[in-house]
Amino acid sequence: MKMKMMFGLAALAVITLTAIGCQDPGQPTEGPENVSQQTPATKSTYAATTEPSGALPVGEAREKTVDGEEVTLVGLVGGSSKPFIEGLAAFTIVDAKVPYCAAEEGCPTPWDYCCQTAAVKENIATIKVVDDKGKPVMQDARELLDVEELSTVVVNGKATRDAQGNLSVAAKQVFVQKGN
Amino acid sequence: MLLPWEYGVRNLARRPIRTALTLLALATVVLLVLVVVGFVRGLDESLVISGDQGVVLVYSINSEENIENSAIPAQTPSLLAASLSGTQQRFGVGHVSPELYLGTRVTTSQRVAGLGLVRGVTLQAPLVRRSVQLVEGRWPQENEVMVGRLAAIKLGASQEDLAVGQQLEFEGRKWLVSGRFAAGGAAYESEIWCQLNELQTATKRQDLSLVALLLAPGNSPAEADLFCKERLDLELRAIHEPEYYATLQQYYQPVRLLAWLIVALVSGAGIFAGLNMMYGAVAGRIREIATLQAIGFRRRAILISLIQEGVLLAAAGSLLAAIVGLTVLNGAAVRFTMGAFFLRIDGMAILISCSVGLAVGVFGALPPAFKVLRIQIATGLKSVG
Repeated sequence: MKMKMMFGLAALAVITLTAIGCQDPGQPTEGPENVSQQTPATKSTYAATTEPSGALPVGEAREKTVDGEEVTLVGLVGGSSKPFIEGLAAFTIVDAKVPYCAAEEGCPTPWDYCCQTAAVKENIATIKVVDDKGKPVMQDARELLDVEELSTVVVNGKATRDAQGNLSVAAKQVFVQKGN
Repeated sequence: MLLPWEYGVRNLARRPIRTALTLLALATVVLLVLVVVGFVRGLDESLVISGDQGVVLVYSINSEENIENSAIPAQTPSLLAASLSGTQQRFGVGHVSPELYLGTRVTTSQRVAGLGLVRGVTLQAPLVRRSVQLVEGRWPQENEVMVGRLAAIKLGASQEDLAVGQQLEFEGRKWLVSGRFAAGGAAYESEIWCQLNELQTATKRQDLSLVALLLAPGNSPAEADLFCKERLDLELRAIHEPEYYATLQQYYQPVRLLAWLIVALVSGAGIFAGLNMMYGAVAGRIREIATLQAIGFRRRAILISLIQEGVLLAAAGSLLAAIVGLTVLNGAAVRFTMGAFFLRIDGMAILISCSVGLAVGVFGALPPAFKVLRIQIATGLKSVG
């Protein structure tokens, strides 16, 4: 009986020590002080609730927009196999007129427009979500805006054009069309 | 009441040749498992070590994950240095390393030829590739190369063929080995490094394969990625180096799965070997086991004694294999498509292989023990042999 009890205690000690040992000391424990900096309140700061009017398709915007101009753009998140930037609220959008692989074609990443690479070059823009100071928000856009690849987004912001024809827009808010 | 511990031990000594052969078979099984696990651990370790948390690689978006196929304009490093604020700067020197990387046929002075990995670098390379240490000789000058400590394995040549002062031939030119370097087990250790402009001249190329950037502390690799996404005309992509090597790990996933399948198959074969041994061992002891039951030992006690014999033998085999693994196999170099790496017989490899060994001992002993214990005592006592 005594032996059994001792064995039981030893087993309990081993299990406890293993459980403690397996915990990564560098790993923050769950608690109010370690919750994500992003709260639903700030999430709504960058996600627009109403769709901006007069949005230009990306292709048209690339032709008409000049550097520094305020512009409203509409497009689908995509343009490469990884259109989102990890850890930063920025992504690329493509004009809706550029077709992507249909679901029945079985393409695992239709948002890379692999069959339309030439068309994508003239119909792509970069969107970066910025804070009040104009700095990019250091959080993944997927978490910040609840957006995913091939979602249709409408953004309003300041355009940056360069001599090579690249277009990027610094937006303070992004409207994500539902049902895409 | 349990059978005395010595009873099981003495039983093993009663049949020394069979015991020795079984021990050898079990040790071989455990050793095979150890080699395969050591292979997987070595490959993983090499890829994990290679990815520096502070480094971002910028290369062509068209080359997918294969940097060897990448070609980017020669002005990319200066463009990046001017555009990115998060790059490490020290004494006015940006930690930006332009590199030309290719796989090419390398011939040693002993006419040993193999596919070598050659990297053309500048003096900025050691600022970014922080694990690289020159262990012998000096930094390469014109028509000179320095070789990683695994470069000879990658080429299938001897270490003497790539010693300092030896000559190599690739891309139609002869190169003198000026130094040897180590990189703490990283992938570069199987490479040959020379001056970037020398390699560009030899290959008649003006472009680069990649630019490696060292980020200043507190900066995110996302800045480089944003630059590539904004300068879409350059067709560049930026990837955090650990992520790049994690992708390679995914690329080698089938190899790793195959390795684990081998572990499973070898373990299965080991269990059958154990079963065979134990069937043989108990077949000749039916009368002895029946006698033990007749004098009052319970079946459970006899079963435990039989398992004890199997586990003892398996533990001895595992110990033997672990000793051989640690003294002979640990650190052995393995040639692989992406270069070469060291077999890594670490704690995890020992744990897995010894667990397999002990499992072979337990599960190999169970079926024959159940079989012999099912026989009626009277029948057992009358059995011959």
